[in-house]
Parts: sequence; C-alpha cells; structure tokens
Amino acid sequence: MELPVHLSKESRVPIYHQIAGQIQAMIASGQLAPGAPLPSIRTLSKDLEISAITTRRAYQDLELEGFITTIQGKGTFVAKVEESLIRSVKIKSVQQAMEKSIESALQQNYTFEEIETIFAELIEELKIKKGGKG
Amino acid sequence: MTASLEVLSVEKKIEDFLLGPINLKLESGTVTALVGNNGAGKSTLLKTIMQLARQDMGEVIVFGSNTNQDDESWKKQIAYQPQTLMGCDSFTGNELKVLFSKWYPNWDDNWFGNMVDTFDIPMNKKYGKLSQGNQQKLLASLTLSKNAQLLILDEPTAHMDIVSKRKYTDFLTEWMEREDKTIFISTHQMEDIRKLADYLIFINRGQMAGKFEKDKLAQQYKRYWLAEDLPQVSIPGEIERKGLRTVTTHLPLEAEAYFLKAGMKWHAEEYIELEEAVTYLLK
Repeated sequence: MELPVHLSKESRVPIYHQIAGQIQAMIASGQLAPGAPLPSIRTLSKDLEISAITTRRAYQDLELEGFITTIQGKGTFVAKVEESLIRSVKIKSVQQAMEKSIESALQQNYTFEEIETIFAELIEELKIKKGGKG
Repeated sequence: MTASLEVLSVEKKIEDFLLGPINLKLESGTVTALVGNNGAGKSTLLKTIMQLARQDMGEVIVFGSNTNQDDESWKKQIAYQPQTLMGCDSFTGNELKVLFSKWYPNWDDNWFGNMVDTFDIPMNKKYGKLSQGNQQKLLASLTLSKNAQLLILDEPTAHMDIVSKRKYTDFLTEWMEREDKTIFISTHQMEDIRKLADYLIFINRGQMAGKFEKDKLAQQYKRYWLAEDLPQVSIPGEIERKGLRTVTTHLPLEAEAYFLKAGMKWHAEEYIELEEAVTYLLK
C-alpha cells in the first residue's frame, strides 16, 4: 500500500523524524487502522526516494514507541495503540500546525496581539461556516 | 552486518590510465551506486572485481573468498551484468536461458518468466537481432534470475525506455526484499540513484572520490535566500551563488553563524536536490 508521506526540503526536522511523525498522525486519526499493513522498508524507500537506512530508522522509532509491530517473514503492521498515546499525538500534531502558522505570521512581521486577533476572527468565521459545531 | 564484497587497495593500469588504489566494502542488505563521469573507470573497476581484468595490486574478497585463485566457485555467488554480452549474438533468448539456468544452481525460472512477460521480450529472436533496449531487458532478466547473493550491474538501464526503467526499478526493489541481497550498480541515471541507492560511491579519473550515505549527501548542502546583498568575499563553504542574494554552501552551520554575526537575515533556506549534490561532486 502507498502512504501519503510528504517530505520537506525546507524543514530542519530530520527525514526519519518527518516520516515517523506523519505515520503517527495517520494512525492517530484512524486513517491507518490497527492491523493495517505498512509498505516494506525497501518499497517505502523507493517511493520516497530515500535510503533504506533512513526508512529503517523511522520504522525502528515507531516500533519502539508502540505504533507498529514487525512480524518476522510477514511484514510490518499498525499496532493497537493506547488511547492516551493517540491523544498525545493528536495534540502534538495540532500544536505543530498552529505553531507553523504563527511562525509564518511572525515572519510577516505581525505582533502576537495582531496574530491573536486574526486567530479569533478566523474562529468566528469557521463557527458560522460549520454551523456552530464544537 | 557482514561484507558481501571487499576491494582492498586494488590498482589496475591500462595503457596510461591508472585505476586506484580503490578500497571499498559493501555490506549485505544494501544497494550502492557507483557514480562517475564517462571514462572515470567504473566499468574497469567492475571488470576487475569479476577478474575479467586481473588487478596489478591489491585483493578482491567476495563473501570471504579471495578471487585471486584457481577455484572460481565464488563466481556463482555473483550475478554480473556487463554493458553488452559478448559472443552471444547468434543465440535466441530461449537458448540463452537454457545455458544460464544450467550454470547457476539457484536459477529462478518463475522469476525469469515473470520478467520476460513483463518486459515483453521476443524470446525466439537472436540476441544480435534485438534492439539495444530489448537486449538490455533480456540481459537484466537473465542476471536477476540467477538469484545470486550479490548483483553487480554495469549501467543496466542505459538503453531502457521510461516505462521499462520503472518496471526494472520495481524488480530490483522486490529482489532486495529477499534476505541478505546486495546490489552494486554503476549508473548515470539519477532515477536509479534516487529510487534504489542507500550509498553512493564516487569515482573520478580512476580515483575514489568519496562514499556517502545518500540522504546525508544532499543534506550537506544548503541554499539560502538572503534579505540583502551578499558580501563580495565568499561566505563559509560557498559553492555557488546565483544573483546577489542566493547562495549555496556545504557548511550550513558555519554559514549561518557567519550570517548571524554579520546581522544578515534570510527569507528562506532549503536542502538542495540530490542531483545538484551529485553534480557538485562530479565537477
């Protein structure tokens, strides 16, 4: 199966970390269900055009953290992940996305107060669009 | 990890061209691309490993066996694909298959059939009458089906069309899924390097010019788009500048320290493409 992993050349985050983070997010969001097979290290390396050394490192980290399991001779699969771990991944990925937006606003020379205003306005707009959900 | 192939201080002189001294070690389970400009000595190195050209100095060790001996059983552990197959023009694909499958004890007939079908190779035609692309596809099928532990490939995709190249890459990837396989591939195709290689070995005018882990290579170089004009003097590690504000360095940390000290800001930064890094190294 193909994984929608996208690597950034601009990012200072190491490639193996980017891969592990994105797979974690797919697992936390339920896009990858427990028991789902992951591509082999060689196949993912070919698809992402990186060395198997990097992919292996990402898979090793994911395995250590309990997101995936490797069954000798069968392949790598999504593990049954604890609810608390899923929650922390979700929070982390939302925080990272917001941090990135704030960083880009700061680069455009906005102050924190101005960013807060933009943020509050956006929330109001979205509330109307989504019919006051959440 | 165990070594599949070791080349120790190998030197070979052919007329006024000197190859080496070359030292390299390939670990099992890895794919290494041999990269160099035309005439750099890539084919000579591969031929020397196969003892098709005997080295003047040094040793080649294949799975622990020294190749410099009368016993040539080490050859069955290697599947070597030369650029062209000599002396086989009058044989058809089917005849070549019979010859090859007899010589190699691990011959994989299913795999061979699958490659021939996928590439749609005319098997009743004489090798010499096939197009260069089809010759290469037949040669690739014969080589992989030997199911040896070590593949040594000399520019295997040079004549393949785009679709065949893609299929071939998939075959090599699948082949690497088998346990403890090793590939040493000389190539000028960036796609081979991007999609297959773990390590890159550079060779320049017969000399080793470095061995790199692929993903670390591109990350050694960084490009910055500055907010103001660059100074006249070179910045640390400077390799190339475009216009007055865009600069590429192979010492990103030192360059950033320099920018900070000089109070220079930058709008954007990125690691360069692998192809650019390879080009810098081959220049």
